[in-house]
Amino acid sequence: MEEVDRILIHALNQIGTEVSEEIGSVSQFSSELIVKAVVRCVQVIDPGLGSALPSSLPPGMSARFRVGMSLAQACQDIGYKGEIGYQTFLYSNEPEIRSLLMFLVEKLPRESAETSDQPTGKSVVLQRAIAAAIKAQLSVPWLPVNCRLPLHTETQSAGALYSFHALPLSLSHSSKGPNKKHLKEVKDYQRDFLLPVTAQLSHHASLAASILEQHSTVLSAAQEWDSEWNNQGLLSRLTPQEYRSRKLTRLRKRIKEQLRSTALPSPESAFGSCHSSTDLCELLQSFSNSAPSDHILTKGTHFTHTQKFTFEQESATVTSSVPTGHQSDGDTQHRQQEELASLQQQLQQLCGDVDQLTADMKHMSVTNTQVLNELKQKELTNNEEEDKIQMKKKTLDCLPDTDNSLVKLQALVEASAKRLVNLASQWEKHRAPLMDEHRRLKEICSNQDLESSRKLSEIKSMHEKIRVSTEEARKKEDMYKQLVTELENLSQDVSRSAYTQRILEIVSNIKKQKEEITKILSDTKDLQKEINSLTGKLDRTFAVTDELVFKDAKKDEAVRKAYKYLAALHDNCNQLIQTIEETGTILREIRDLEEQIETENGNKTIANLERILEDYKAIRQENAALAAKVREG
Amino acid sequence: MATTETQFMSSVGLIEKDVNGDTLWVWCYPSVDSRLRQVLLSKCCLTQQGRDFHTFVFGQFCRTWYYITTVEVQEPTALNKVTHFSTVVTAKDFNPEKYAALSRILCRMYVKHGTPVKMMEAYLTVLIKGICQSDENGSFLIKDYDVRKAYLAGSIKDVVSQFGMETIILYTALMLKKRIIVHHPRIEALLEFTRALPALTWHRKDWSILHPYVHLSDTELEDLQNCPGYIAGFVDPEVSNRSDLFDVYVNLPDSFITVSQSAKEAMAMGKLHKEVGHLIVQSAEDPERSDSQVIKDISIKTKEILANLLALADKCEDSKITLEGLKQHHFPAATENFLFHLAAAEQLLRI
Repeated sequence: MEEVDRILIHALNQIGTEVSEEIGSVSQFSSELIVKAVVRCVQVIDPGLGSALPSSLPPGMSARFRVGMSLAQACQDIGYKGEIGYQTFLYSNEPEIRSLLMFLVEKLPRESAETSDQPTGKSVVLQRAIAAAIKAQLSVPWLPVNCRLPLHTETQSAGALYSFHALPLSLSHSSKGPNKKHLKEVKDYQRDFLLPVTAQLSHHASLAASILEQHSTVLSAAQEWDSEWNNQGLLSRLTPQEYRSRKLTRLRKRIKEQLRSTALPSPESAFGSCHSSTDLCELLQSFSNSAPSDHILTKGTHFTHTQKFTFEQESATVTSSVPTGHQSDGDTQHRQQEELASLQQQLQQLCGDVDQLTADMKHMSVTNTQVLNELKQKELTNNEEEDKIQMKKKTLDCLPDTDNSLVKLQALVEASAKRLVNLASQWEKHRAPLMDEHRRLKEICSNQDLESSRKLSEIKSMHEKIRVSTEEARKKEDMYKQLVTELENLSQDVSRSAYTQRILEIVSNIKKQKEEITKILSDTKDLQKEINSLTGKLDRTFAVTDELVFKDAKKDEAVRKAYKYLAALHDNCNQLIQTIEETGTILREIRDLEEQIETENGNKTIANLERILEDYKAIRQENAALAAKVREG
Repeated sequence: MATTETQFMSSVGLIEKDVNGDTLWVWCYPSVDSRLRQVLLSKCCLTQQGRDFHTFVFGQFCRTWYYITTVEVQEPTALNKVTHFSTVVTAKDFNPEKYAALSRILCRMYVKHGTPVKMMEAYLTVLIKGICQSDENGSFLIKDYDVRKAYLAGSIKDVVSQFGMETIILYTALMLKKRIIVHHPRIEALLEFTRALPALTWHRKDWSILHPYVHLSDTELEDLQNCPGYIAGFVDPEVSNRSDLFDVYVNLPDSFITVSQSAKEAMAMGKLHKEVGHLIVQSAEDPERSDSQVIKDISIKTKEILANLLALADKCEDSKITLEGLKQHHFPAATENFLFHLAAAEQLLRI
């Protein structure tokens, strides 16, 4: 009981009830102290309920009575299931008080449990600090410019705001990968000339933004490369450089195809040219020149040139007519007409030239194709003729002696054929084993491929496991650090280890007791079974004997006497057994009553009764006084 | 003559696919240069990722015709570790039926004996004598396979039934030696369709313009672009984006023909074309006329047009046509344009 009381007193001290050092157990609590403690507990558990209660016991009896009732009500509202009333506080007894205080202390809100639920880690601490700071700043009311104190300028004026503007930086480790060879010149430049990061930027405010941007780019690139390498790169079984170069060529090819597919239709629609430009530069130039420009003659057909010429001439005529409007009329008109005529002549001439050129070009292209065709055909026929000539020459050589030559030729042909077949079979002798070897090795290779892909998947799962384990280890370390700091901060009043030891001891004791109880129970059960069986046996034996003897008793006198003795014996033994049983029950009752006496003794009933009588008398006096006051006033 | 015809055969090769999934060029006689070998490997259906199995494909590359027969190896066989193989025969002439029959014989020999030596023997006998014993009854005779039959094997009636009046576009393009590209996802349909097209210009009997099976690879496209006018068949639908490669694009599964912008001017059609188109359609729709008769009708009309052109040429000096000469006859613009370009194609234009 001591530890329980110590824990209760410690808890009450923590929530704010002052319990003096001398009081070591609940039995020593006075009524005032009890009331104070309970009120404080209720206030902490439920401030709404607790606000209506006075913090200490008032002197007047009726007031005390009322306080006791309201306190009992409050405790019942909180959820105390036991019997509670004003008497619990005014006329207390130890067990009731102890149970009530234990219930209230358990109900106290636990701050420590909340903190352990929140996520651990330094970043969370930082976030919480940031949140707190922002909350504090937001709680400060906004003031117009003139009323602001220097305290507010930091948070409320616009001068403190900077937009996130990142500028490129040059860092000495910004080149990709540690394997890249640093040229000596680059190193010298970085050592001697490269300004430090803070001095590289024109606008100082963007320093933080630029550094963040730079770091996040490098970090995200590294992470992406890691994830890509772990997923696809390892599977492709290439070295990192090979994998990168392959990716590069693949991307380039895609870009080329895309450009080609999107670029081709537009020049045709813009110019209607006969030749589609394959040169990329020209293509891009044609994009920029898609609006007709007056000065540059882009690569187009005669048709568009004609177009441009006509438009130009028209615009020229228009512009030329405007500035001459200011001079005198007759003169100007004459001059205008002259100009007009000459220009029109020029125009017609040029149009004619252009038409001529167009026709020429068309003619040229067609004849060009014709000539090329002819050329090709001529070449082919040439080749064929050459072959034919060769053939004819050889036949001519053979001609003088036709029969012999024919026979010789045939023999030659057959011999060659035989030789070829012979060579082929010889080659086959070499080729077939090589093919078999090739196939066999390929099979081994593919088996090894299977093996390696299996190993790769194992590696991948290992990576996964490593990642998960590092995460967990990090989390656990953070939690450990936090708990260590919490432990240090925790007060040393109550030693936890003593508690835990006692608890463990008690648990082992209870276990032992439970074992003993079960043993006793089993023993009792066995005994009871034995008793039952013996009683049964007894009854059966008696029944049999009774019958047996009774049968003979009718005839024989001695047997009749024996029968009477048997009956008497049976009855007496029954009585004995009954008395024993009664003794046992009475002993049990004695034990129970003794226990009850003990508990009642602890209730200090007599003292309480005396107090009750006194208080009753006091209340009666108060009532009389109040009645008198009422009658007077 | 049989002897000159055998000179057309260039080489025979063997491609095998084994149990490891590798496709390798394992044997050839006399030799095949590496560029052609690459092309042939790409054409063989064993190297392609899809599971399509094409028994017989043919095509042209660098003025060499190749004929690929693919066979799946089935028991009983002397070959081990080989699941499929293809026989490649290259030749200078166009005759799919002949080389298909020859390839079949060679394939059967290879399966039975498991060694290409026997194949080579058969090939040599055909090369020397023009005849070869086959496993089935009878033998293979080169002279059974006339080139005219190969030319006429394509069905022009099918072409006309699919495109109707638009066949005149194909006719014009062929007459003017333009570049036609045909697309169909299935190679067999492509081969069948394209081989019939040169029959529209029967007077030339030129099947060297036919490239029925081309992939979008740099080597092949380079070779293709060396020819001024061609009929090229592509299985890859991407070719529709390559408008630099064609003047006329035929989308076979959807049955429509487009003329590219650059060629629209040259391919302008007028009354003359309408007339010819009607003739073609009428002739093809007649159920009693066979394919060769339809081709004959078309060639008669073509000869008429060419005769007119020649007559016009004779009137000018040195029998060459000029644009001014044509203009004097006051033909309608489209007809004049057509005749001008036709003269260039037939090499009647004065340079």
